[in-house]
Amino acid sequence: MIKQSNYYFGLLLGAALLTACSSDDGATNPDEGGENPTAEPQYLITATPTTAGSEGVADYILSTEDLTQGSISTDGNGVEQDGTYRYYETHNNKFFSFLYGQGNPGAVTTYQLDGKSKLQKLSDFQAETVQAFAPVNDDILMIKISRNAESPFAYWYQLDTEASQFTAEGQINTQELANKENGEIAFFSWITQVGDKVFLPYFTMKACCNDSWGTDYPDEANIAVYSYPEMTLETVIHDNRTSFIGRYFNNGLSVDENGDAYAFSSAIATTNNEVSTTKSSSVTRIKAGTLEFDQDYLFDLEAASGGYYLTDHTYVGNGKVIGIFLEEKTSSYATGNRFALIDLHNQTLDWITGLPSPENILSVTNGMNSYVSENKTNVFVGITTETGSFIYNIDIASNTATQGIEVQGGQITAINKLNPVK
Amino acid sequence: MHTIFSRALFLLCAVVCSLSSFSQQNQFTVDGHVRDANGNPIIGASVIIESINKGVSTDENGYFSLPLNGNAQAYSLNVISLGFKQKSILIDSNTTLNQSFDIVLEESSVDLSEVVVSGKSIVNQVKEKAFNVNVIDAKKLHNTTLDIGGALNRTSGIRVRESGGVGSDMKLSLNGFTGNQVRFFIDGIPMDNFGSSFQLNNIPIGLAERIEVYKGVVPIGLGGDALGGAINIITNTFKKSHLDASYSFGSFNTHRSMVNAIYVSKSGFTAQLNAYQNYSDNDYKIEVETADLQTGEYYPNEIVRRFHDRYHNETVIANIGVVNKTYADQLLFGITLGSNFKEIQTRARADSPPYGGLHRKGSIIMPSLKYIKNDFIVKGLNARINANINLGREQNIDTLHRRYNWLGEFIEYEGPGGERSYSLYKFKNNLGIATASFDYKFADKHALALSNTLNTFNRKGEDQLRPDNQDYEQPRKTMKNIIGLGYGYEADNWNVNVFTKHYFQQNKFSLALDSETPGELMYHKRTNTFNFLGYGLALTHFINDDLQIKASFEKSYRMPENEELYGDLINLEGNIDLKPEKSYNYNLGASYWWRFKNRQHLYFNINGFYRDASDFIRPVLNRNQVMQVMDNLGSVTNVGVESEIKYQFGNRFSAGVNLTYQSLRNNTKYEGGQTTESAVYRDRIPNMPYLYGNADMSYTFHDVGGVNNSLTIGYNMLYVHAFYLYWPSRGSAEGKYGVPEQIAQDLNLTYTWKNDLQFTLECRNIFNKNLYDNFSIQKPGRSFTGKIKYTFL
Repeated sequence: MIKQSNYYFGLLLGAALLTACSSDDGATNPDEGGENPTAEPQYLITATPTTAGSEGVADYILSTEDLTQGSISTDGNGVEQDGTYRYYETHNNKFFSFLYGQGNPGAVTTYQLDGKSKLQKLSDFQAETVQAFAPVNDDILMIKISRNAESPFAYWYQLDTEASQFTAEGQINTQELANKENGEIAFFSWITQVGDKVFLPYFTMKACCNDSWGTDYPDEANIAVYSYPEMTLETVIHDNRTSFIGRYFNNGLSVDENGDAYAFSSAIATTNNEVSTTKSSSVTRIKAGTLEFDQDYLFDLEAASGGYYLTDHTYVGNGKVIGIFLEEKTSSYATGNRFALIDLHNQTLDWITGLPSPENILSVTNGMNSYVSENKTNVFVGITTETGSFIYNIDIASNTATQGIEVQGGQITAINKLNPVK
Repeated sequence: MHTIFSRALFLLCAVVCSLSSFSQQNQFTVDGHVRDANGNPIIGASVIIESINKGVSTDENGYFSLPLNGNAQAYSLNVISLGFKQKSILIDSNTTLNQSFDIVLEESSVDLSEVVVSGKSIVNQVKEKAFNVNVIDAKKLHNTTLDIGGALNRTSGIRVRESGGVGSDMKLSLNGFTGNQVRFFIDGIPMDNFGSSFQLNNIPIGLAERIEVYKGVVPIGLGGDALGGAINIITNTFKKSHLDASYSFGSFNTHRSMVNAIYVSKSGFTAQLNAYQNYSDNDYKIEVETADLQTGEYYPNEIVRRFHDRYHNETVIANIGVVNKTYADQLLFGITLGSNFKEIQTRARADSPPYGGLHRKGSIIMPSLKYIKNDFIVKGLNARINANINLGREQNIDTLHRRYNWLGEFIEYEGPGGERSYSLYKFKNNLGIATASFDYKFADKHALALSNTLNTFNRKGEDQLRPDNQDYEQPRKTMKNIIGLGYGYEADNWNVNVFTKHYFQQNKFSLALDSETPGELMYHKRTNTFNFLGYGLALTHFINDDLQIKASFEKSYRMPENEELYGDLINLEGNIDLKPEKSYNYNLGASYWWRFKNRQHLYFNINGFYRDASDFIRPVLNRNQVMQVMDNLGSVTNVGVESEIKYQFGNRFSAGVNLTYQSLRNNTKYEGGQTTESAVYRDRIPNMPYLYGNADMSYTFHDVGGVNNSLTIGYNMLYVHAFYLYWPSRGSAEGKYGVPEQIAQDLNLTYTWKNDLQFTLECRNIFNKNLYDNFSIQKPGRSFTGKIKYTFL
């Protein structure tokens, strides 16, 4: 009897050891085999594993052919992206992964899909950590922006996406650009190509004296207009109907199919860390071919939404926009949890149905990082609630969302798409 | 001049008296004192009665006490110590009742290299305590060019992780505990914060006599809040006058020298002087990705030389006082003076661009007091009191507004600035330590221990570049006090220790918040106070003469260190919110000694451990990944095993292997407000080696080129299994960041001439393998060093 129990104990121990070994350290590689012989385009979902134990790893790049159903996991799957923060951009069918190193140079990794729809690293290059980047012609324009009045310079770099290296660079004196009596400096919220020019909306900030991000000019919008690729300042256009356009690391300017640029203001300018703007969160317009705000166009989003302000947006097409809204203006950086469909041309706003209720939402993907289908009928956004992370498919025509693919073991930071290269 | 060792291995059998032969009646004791012809006490001499298999060793003052029963009529008492002739004394239970013997041993010309391990040296006496302890006989390593850290790296269960060459930051991992979970002591004094001029990475091995490595539960006598273990470096014991000097020169323009002098007069006056120096350019080659500063293009796998990693330090330790007086066994006043200079080459991550100008200067000015008295006030009460304060300064210099690449090229930016942050910050940490510990053997077999350790920290600094910055005016103060009380019972073949500890820590600091006056920050003073009670138990049992088992348990706290709270201002960022780590630790181990044939010995040791920790403290990268920062991880468990085998053949050949495996797992089930199980629940904690080991071998040729001259060839191998930098379960294995398997092999050759003069040639990392540490920072490749050591006295 004793011997027998020893025998079983031994078996159990052996089994335990075996399972312990086999479950070890994700040595399995699901990327091997099982590939579609006919190369299909791939959606790239970047997911960041956890919050507390995030461990200095930014994201895992997961690829899938379908966003509308099923589930995908970071467990033993996905391309590891180190860094605390990463940002992504797809341009010319290449996927760029930017390491954000808060003032320190970091690697930018370029990927494309090979003929078997498998993500392949093309190259690495070293770039300064920038606070704004966007495609302009065949380049990606990147700008590193000072937040210190003692060295009021923004450095720009033109990245050739074919060669994956920098072809030109220069600097902008942001204090001179802001041209304020109190010496505030300009900080570009983002970059938007409008026609053949580059529009850089900016906010002004004290960049000193313990109110670094505060301003004494909370009630104005400014856009610096540059030629491209020379990057010479052509003009600065102003408007005093709204506060500044965009937000830190957030695009606030989109161009419709007519070439008209629409400017989104969250109205969250602060002075001494309190929201000080008297303006309402609104949309204004710069008509194609002009270099001034269209004084006939003002869409007050706070009025239209019943008191909510816009934190971010995704331009869909034909004047349609997905806006993300939040109720209380507590900080300049809070992200919204309510989604609305905005029609810029008709100045209407309708809440989107079928999404988790706002109080359950823990995080959402940025407006820039949501994915708009090629035919502009659907928008895919990533939402994390306490029960997990899902991609929701918003149907523009019906203004309703349906739950799509579940992303296990991570918050969704961006959704992109690449086509295979022959 | 012979160093004293014991070689009587059979004493192991003897010292643990078997219960069967034990008789209560007619018990008496043979007491005595063993000394050499000059009157110096002989420590660790074996006092044995072979006929009844009983024996003891002399204590650190040369005394022994051997209890016997009176049934037999007469015994032959043998006294053996290495370097001395054996002496036999006839004792008779009827006539020599409770008599005290004064035994004088004559020196013999026995070959010193007979020494080797085994036998019941102090080394083994410590090992036999209930605590799980490894003892490194440092004297055997005196011919190497190792620093203390390098010596520890060869011990089972230990991984020393360093960020580069000479003088680089060292972190220790011991059975899954890292960094400051393991505390360091020098002669029982916590060396928590001796400043950068006196650390593991720059103390030469020659300063140490032996190093005790406690794993898991730590004796009360070593106060402090060691959680994962403690390392106690025993320097010298003031036995007699001594003078030696050594110098070594090696690759990367590395020079090290050391003078070690001790004078002990007959009257008990003693003076000690240790002076040592390390210098290295550390310009070893590494394989990195280097970027073109203009185009940003990366050139992977470039072999470049490190170009900004020079390090040097100079330290003098002087002690003066008396030994062996009625009022003090040791009363020493000392001062440690030193300076160091360190260029900082890398950020926390290997693939980040290097620094080309950032450097650190530091000094140490540390007066100290040491007092030891056995039989203090009453017989059996031993007292030990230590105090020191470090008044040294450190300064960070970062005034080049540049960005470098690994080719040493740079871009210069306009205006003032630094590579990391424009700084000439100069600071003093004002570290003070006072310890007092008392052991009281109040009855036969019963002992009490009481110990108290007080640490203070008060960082004050200024930066001439920012004279008005209020931030430097803010308090950065910590006071920590740990008091422990223990009771020990020592029976013939088992002993037990129970203890309790009280932990107190108070941190005073400021939080910068917005004030009501617009545009100004208000500093809000804050005080965090921690009060905890821990307890534990350690026991050991000799199943028979050669087989020992040990078990221990402790509920323990690990308090945040000053540098973890306030930063070291090099590559560790402060985290004022760091919480104490609490853990339940269980250890179970067994050791077996086996002698066979003629002069062959085998030693086996295996130790299993289980730890259940909450608020586990571990290093992660800070937000911009330029520095490391210590962070709490909710809940972590660790199960592991470490084992060691040693073989010895006479005084010619020895070999050993040790291997450690640990399974450190994340035990935090829910994170970030989610109700679904965390994706990394039960995942292995990343960026920590989990399977590693060492092998070593040495062979000695005797009488090479003359009598008393010997030649020793030593070999050492280090193995570390590959591990991932980030959570192992996430992402596909292809392209995952990690540190590959590492194997490094070292060879050394030592020629000893007439026991006075030693020449050593050492080659480390002979196959020039890429070795990595700390977030994959690369370590030196193959290096050669020559060393000469002369013992004058």
